[in-house]
Amino acid sequence: MQDESPLLNVQRRRLLASSAGVVAAVGLGSHARMSVAGEAPAVAAAVAAAPTVKPLPAYAAWKNADDLIIHSANTIETKRTAFGDGVITPANQLYVRNNVPPPNPSVLDDRDAWKVSVEGVKSPRTLTVGELKTMGLQTTAMVLQCSGNGRKFFEHKPSGTPWDVGAAGCVMWSGVPVRDVVDALGGVADNAPYMTGTGGETLPAGIDPNTLLVERSVPTEAMQDALLAWEMNGEPISLAHGGPLRLIVPGYSGVNNVKYIKRLAFTKEQTPAMIQQARYRLAPLGTKETAENPAVWKMDVKSWINGPASGSTVAAGNHVIRGVAFGGMDAVKRVEVSTDGGKTWKDATFIGPDLGKYAWRQFALSVKLAPGDYRFVSRATDAQGNVQVEQRVENAAGYLNSSWRDHGLDIKVAA
Amino acid sequence: MKPSWAIAAAGCLLAWQAHATGPAADLEAGRTLFNNTATPACAICHTLKDAGAEGAIGPSLDALKPDAARVRTVLKTGLGVMPAYEALTAEQIETLANYVARVAEGH
Repeated sequence: MQDESPLLNVQRRRLLASSAGVVAAVGLGSHARMSVAGEAPAVAAAVAAAPTVKPLPAYAAWKNADDLIIHSANTIETKRTAFGDGVITPANQLYVRNNVPPPNPSVLDDRDAWKVSVEGVKSPRTLTVGELKTMGLQTTAMVLQCSGNGRKFFEHKPSGTPWDVGAAGCVMWSGVPVRDVVDALGGVADNAPYMTGTGGETLPAGIDPNTLLVERSVPTEAMQDALLAWEMNGEPISLAHGGPLRLIVPGYSGVNNVKYIKRLAFTKEQTPAMIQQARYRLAPLGTKETAENPAVWKMDVKSWINGPASGSTVAAGNHVIRGVAFGGMDAVKRVEVSTDGGKTWKDATFIGPDLGKYAWRQFALSVKLAPGDYRFVSRATDAQGNVQVEQRVENAAGYLNSSWRDHGLDIKVAA
Repeated sequence: MKPSWAIAAAGCLLAWQAHATGPAADLEAGRTLFNNTATPACAICHTLKDAGAEGAIGPSLDALKPDAARVRTVLKTGLGVMPAYEALTAEQIETLANYVARVAEGH
């Protein structure tokens, strides 16, 4: 899939705007508004290329634009209606969030030659991906979720991308367990409470590197389930998702899973990079994020409904309400669904395989709907008994929204 | 009649000149802030054709077309890897916000 050319993707979008696609495109916003029935395909294609329809960036041109909301070149999410029921999110649907643009694609020319410096261990050294592949192997299914997923529901309208539900996916990572690498290098050095990963993005001159450096620290305990991964969903990791090598920290929000990792260090302090000290912090409303505020690390128990439809009208009769649920750090054990906005609840059934505590479970509930107005909501409980929160935890930058009330769907059932 | 007409015409010309030079000066001041005064310079990270800037870290402002309020907010608070520009005066922030909002391509 990564080899699909940008040209093909442009062609697909143009097809959508062609005369055959005009009717199907109704409801797709700017596409539909700009399309005129009977318009010559060439004209429609030219209109579709107008700046109001944001194109996929070159590094992600192989993705399926029809399944995505393209906020900007570095912020792309899956449409709620595009999520399937196959547990694993296909790479061409998976969201992308880059704080800094990816490095040159040439870093993928010789993947096994990519180097990571491992520091803060008894015997620090630089290892190539080729060497890492000889040191151990594990595959972990994991919910990858942007820290700001659900930001659009915050009423104070924080700056930043107004993500809906789609800055999340469940993907398979394959690589070497970090604990195996650390063991091979003599163990973690004394007094190193943080595991710090540094991204290999190319930074411009003339600016303090700490301003732009994508370097994140998490508690060293997270090492136990962490991977240095070179594969996602059975394929070498694409540039969009952090290839050739990505630090995977299961249960921790997206930003902590450092892409293009070039340094893995066990450190006494958290990194001085701005992205750690003054971003991704849970600050009270009306204040600036500082190192005094809690860091955005672990994800909470959360669920949402993806269908049968998203905010629209369905026919009366039988339907299956379907969605996803995960526990963050623990397995999800229960999901309840309400069709009346949370007044009454029924247990949904988990469908599909259980891929471990860091994966999401897909759930379903069969319902018979009479004509009327409904609000579908879902509420998950993890194996520790933690229940998904009803109200979002307010914070200045709009991180970690797990509110079941916010993530409901208004559905009208026609007579 | 003739003298008063001439005076009126001259007045119009002066008014036109004042109108032309004011915004032009504002644009130039905005461009200077964008390329030089703001630290780090906006141009290091952003593309903005009017300023001759081709930075590729943050979004292209020609593509984003932010309004002045959005630029003002992000200069004051920062966003993502963009720092808050606390060294700029309120007046400089206004000049910069109005400049970017005005010249971003397509406005």
